This record gives sequence, structure tokens and C-alpha cells, in this order.
Amino acid sequence: MSPETGLGAAPVRDIRAEMLKGAQSLAAPAPPSKERGITSDLSVDEALLLHAAGWEPLDLVCGVAVVSVPVGVWNWGRGSISLASDAHDAAVDQAARLLRGECGKVHGYGVVGVRVDVTVNPHHIDVELVGTAVRPMSGKDSSGPGNAAALAMPFVSDLSARDFTLLERAGWMPVGLAFGASFVYAPRRSAGTAMKQTRQNVELTNYTEAMYSARESAMEKMQRSALGAGGQGVVEVKVTEGPMRFARHAIGFTAWGTAVKLVAEAHQFVQPQMVLPLDDAVVSFEAESLRNSGQGKGRKR
Amino acid sequence: MSDLSGQGPGQGQGQGQGQEPEPDVSADSVGPDTGRGPRGDLPEAAMRRLEATSFSSGLSVPDFAACLDIGLQPVALVQGFCVMQWGWYGPGSGTMRGMSPYMGGQQAPGAYSETYRCPHGFVSNEHRSWGQNLEQPWVEEAWTKGYHTAYGRMLEEAGTLGAHGVIGVADRVSNVADTGTTEFHFLGTAVTVEGGPPPAGGVPWSTYLAGQRLTKSIEAGFMPIAVVAALASVRIWAYCMTEYYMEGSMGGWGNNSGPALVEQVSKAHMASRQLARKHVRQQLAGDELHGATMDVVTRELSAGDEVIDCTLRGNRVRRFKDFDPVALPRPTVRLS
Repeated sequence: MSPETGLGAAPVRDIRAEMLKGAQSLAAPAPPSKERGITSDLSVDEALLLHAAGWEPLDLVCGVAVVSVPVGVWNWGRGSISLASDAHDAAVDQAARLLRGECGKVHGYGVVGVRVDVTVNPHHIDVELVGTAVRPMSGKDSSGPGNAAALAMPFVSDLSARDFTLLERAGWMPVGLAFGASFVYAPRRSAGTAMKQTRQNVELTNYTEAMYSARESAMEKMQRSALGAGGQGVVEVKVTEGPMRFARHAIGFTAWGTAVKLVAEAHQFVQPQMVLPLDDAVVSFEAESLRNSGQGKGRKR
Repeated sequence: MSDLSGQGPGQGQGQGQGQEPEPDVSADSVGPDTGRGPRGDLPEAAMRRLEATSFSSGLSVPDFAACLDIGLQPVALVQGFCVMQWGWYGPGSGTMRGMSPYMGGQQAPGAYSETYRCPHGFVSNEHRSWGQNLEQPWVEEAWTKGYHTAYGRMLEEAGTLGAHGVIGVADRVSNVADTGTTEFHFLGTAVTVEGGPPPAGGVPWSTYLAGQRLTKSIEAGFMPIAVVAALASVRIWAYCMTEYYMEGSMGGWGNNSGPALVEQVSKAHMASRQLARKHVRQQLAGDELHGATMDVVTRELSAGDEVIDCTLRGNRVRRFKDFDPVALPRPTVRLS
């Protein structure tokens, strides 16, 4: 193993012997076990990568919250729709709190690969977070004072296991999900302006301005949320924007990502190796595609 | 080298082509220790097909190659079906809840339920003075019966052929027309482990994985045991506050000053997911669940009244050797 990189050449394994060993292990009935089975929604690749990096999955955890939006907030008005933004923030906070609670119950240090699902309805905002709680494997340094803090406040990250591993290797760690949402009324045009613009190719500045206003507010909230969680920045920011489907005069903008902080003394350069593949991309096959050509997507395993 | 020279699985186990299958063998006695051809209660056409002198598989060419590499020999594409009719669970069915929280629901012992009471006192007969979150074990049981029957039939086909396992399993649960009927369909490739013993009890192991993903899992020390799945179904009978919050008409009875957590609906959603996880864990017997997928379907019946169905499925695996992680892969940048 290279002492500089911590990387080594993969040992050559006799995979047929391994398979045979596995089959032999099933030839005798398993003794009854009272162990709590581990559950995880990580793919095989993700699970192996996490293991290689010294982390192990513990449990599939989730947090769901439904928060009401008071009556009348989507009616015509001016400026920001703060009650809707507050409802969004409350739903996200509650879902993240429940997710952390489930992670804490299994003594996890954090949750990786969190699937974020936010639905804005006219009268309620639903937030669902689902991911896999993880902890450092025995042997990995997990006795420092920072680990008590990690257990008390597990990190939450929507990064994949690959991204999480790369981030850790570069000396950074996720601290939590950073969210920001803003809903803004697009101001009405005056009757005169609307009539004048009827036959024109013209920018609707009221919508453009509302979009900018919502964007600024949401991004600022996300930044504040990241700083509040102890992060130095946010990676993998996703945004959704546009008029609400049930209230076209209202613009919504949401932004979220994983807040990260530097835990090493300085950023560690990953120094990737350049490769020139000689083959075409391998065709990925899912057994589900056998059913018919229209259903070939399959699911991640 | 794998023996794929047109020899059928039954013959590969030592059966002559003209030999009659055993006439009276119960379905649950099938297993790979037969040395005989297809038997059990499989349809006659299926038996004819399975006795043919060629193998079949649902594997792609890369997956097929990976399968041979690790010493798995494909036997046949095996399937299992079950079509279930869903019974009536409405009023008078015996499974409907009581007409008040004091008359008692019909939940199974230990099933999840929570009751919510109106904070306003008596208002009118239309006012929902109480509500309930209620696990629906009868729905879960029907789903489980359909799922496991189809799964069992696929394993029966594989076991009849002397297979040790089924890889690349794909399952589908779909409605047949609008008749309250659900079809469960399993499909996978039965395999034998070259030189390997049959699994204990003669029941083939199974996995959603195939090809390189299965290879990596084996290499890391995880042997597939079975595909597992469970449904959790939770019904929300909304009480007044949930109704008001979810339809946005506080009607003068709610607090309209700001956003509020809709506790009944939030708890029902959490419960459906936790129950699905609990049901799956009961099938693990201390083993691990890898590559889980959670699918949630919510049907809104009226304001606040909902049915939440959460399905969780994945690969049950067992560690067969001490922890042996792969080397940390080297990051690469692809030039193209």
C-alpha cells in the first residue's frame, strides 16, 4: 500500500473460490440469531466504497413532516409570501430532526445519500428525507472528543457514498443539509401596461424581478442555514424555480445542498489519475427490461 | 470451464431424457437434491419446457459472462405468478373500524393505531370529533400472501431444476384492470454453483443482483439469501383539525395565524415507513438488507383522509467471511 496516498493495488482474489465458500456457508442451516439486522438503501458499489473508506451502514432512516400553509396566503398580494416560506422551513426542520432522531437511536454518526423530496401543495408542504445511517468501523479512529459531538448531532448529507468518500479524503466533512426557500408574488401589471403589451414581444419585468427577488432570498437563507449548522460552504446545490402550478402569480424558489466544513488542517488534494479507456461504455442491463421495451429503467440495487 | 454444451439442467443432474418425472411429490419437497427431472405441481407445459436440452436465462451477455466467471451455471429462466383479488374492507366487513373510538377497531394485536380527539367540544354531527391513524394488517397480509406465493412459485421452478439460487430477480406488482385485482410476477435466472453443495433445506437462495454487482458483493463477503419485501398500509381517518389543515379551510375552528405541523398526517407517514422497515427486519433473522428501495403511494380519499402504502424491498445477504474490504479505489479522470 502506498503510504502517501493510502491506496493500494487490489489484492487478486479467486472469485470462484469465494463463490464456492459462500455456497458452502449456506449448506448448513444458520444458527438462530437475535442480532438486529442492518438495513441500507446503498447500492453494492456504494456499500463497498464506504467499507473501503472505513464506514459501515447501520439502518435505513427517514424523516417526514407535513406542515400546513394558512388559508389565503397564495391570494394576490405584494412582496414575499413569508408564511409559505415559514411553512417550508418548519417542514424541513421537523423532517431533519426526525431523521437525526432515527440516526441517533442506532448510534449513527450521520446519514448519507439522503433522498430529498419536497412537495408544495396549496394547503400544505410535505418534506420526506430518506437515507442510510452510518458510523465509522471499529479500527477507524472514533474515540476523539469530536465523536461525542457527532453522536449528539449526526450529520445529514444528500451526497452519494462516492461523493462522501471523496469529500472525506479531501479533508472535508458534511455537517447538515442547508435549505432555503422563498415565495414571492409577481406584481400585477397595470391595466394600461397589460393592454399596451398585448401584441408586443416584450419582457415581463414583473415576473423577472419576482424571480430575482425569490432567488436572492432563498440563496441567502440557504447560506444562513449552512453557517448555522457550522458549515463553511455548501456543495451540490440544487435549485427549483418557477411559478407555482396552482398560483401562477406566485414564484417559488428553493435551494438546498450539503453544508460542509474543513476538518483537516488544509484541503487535501486528491490527485486523480488520468485514464484513457479503450472500450465503449458498457451497456447497462436491467432484468426488468425483459418485460417490454418501455419498462427498461429498472431500479438501483 | 462451465458445462454449457446443450445439456439440460435435469440431465446435468443425472436424469435421462425419457425418464418419467415422479408422479406424486408435494410442492414443498422440491429441492436441488433430486437427481431427477422437473416434478412437483408445475403445469405440464412448464415441465416439458424445463425438460428440454438447453438452458435459458434472462441475463445480458455481460451478466452471463460474469455469471460464468464466478462459477455459476445458468439453468433456466424461472417465473412465478399470482393474481390476488382484494376483498371488501368497508363498513360491515368486520375489518372496518368501529363507528366511534370507544366501540373498538378491529386491528390485529400489536398493530399501530393512534386516536386524535377534537379540541372544540361538541359542534355538530358533521364535525369530525375524533380521528384515527390505523395500520391495516388485512391489506398487508393480502399483499404478503400474493407476493410470497408468486415468489415461492418461482423458487419452486428453480428448486425443481436442481438450481442452487436465482439471480437477476425482477418483480412487479401491478393492478389488473379496475377489478380490485393485483398481479404479482417474479422472474429470474436459476443457477447452480459449480461443485457447490445445495443450500440447506433445498430452498434456492435469490437476489435482485446479477453480473458484476453480484460478483462484487460475493467478493466483499456477502452471500445472497433471499429477496425480501414488505408492505405497510396506514389509513388516516382525519379528525377536524387535520381536515381543516389539509384543505385549508379553518372554518373558524383552527389556528390560522401561521403554519402548523399536521401531526396526524406526519405521524402516519412516519409510521408507514417504520412499519415497512419493521416487517422487513422480521424477515432478516439477523442478516443484512442491502440495496433497499422504498416506494410510497399515497391515495387521498377526502380532505385529510388518506391511505399510505409503503413498500420496502431489497436483498437479504449474510456475511460468510470476516470483514475484508476492497482496497480504496484510486480516483481517475476519464479522457475521451
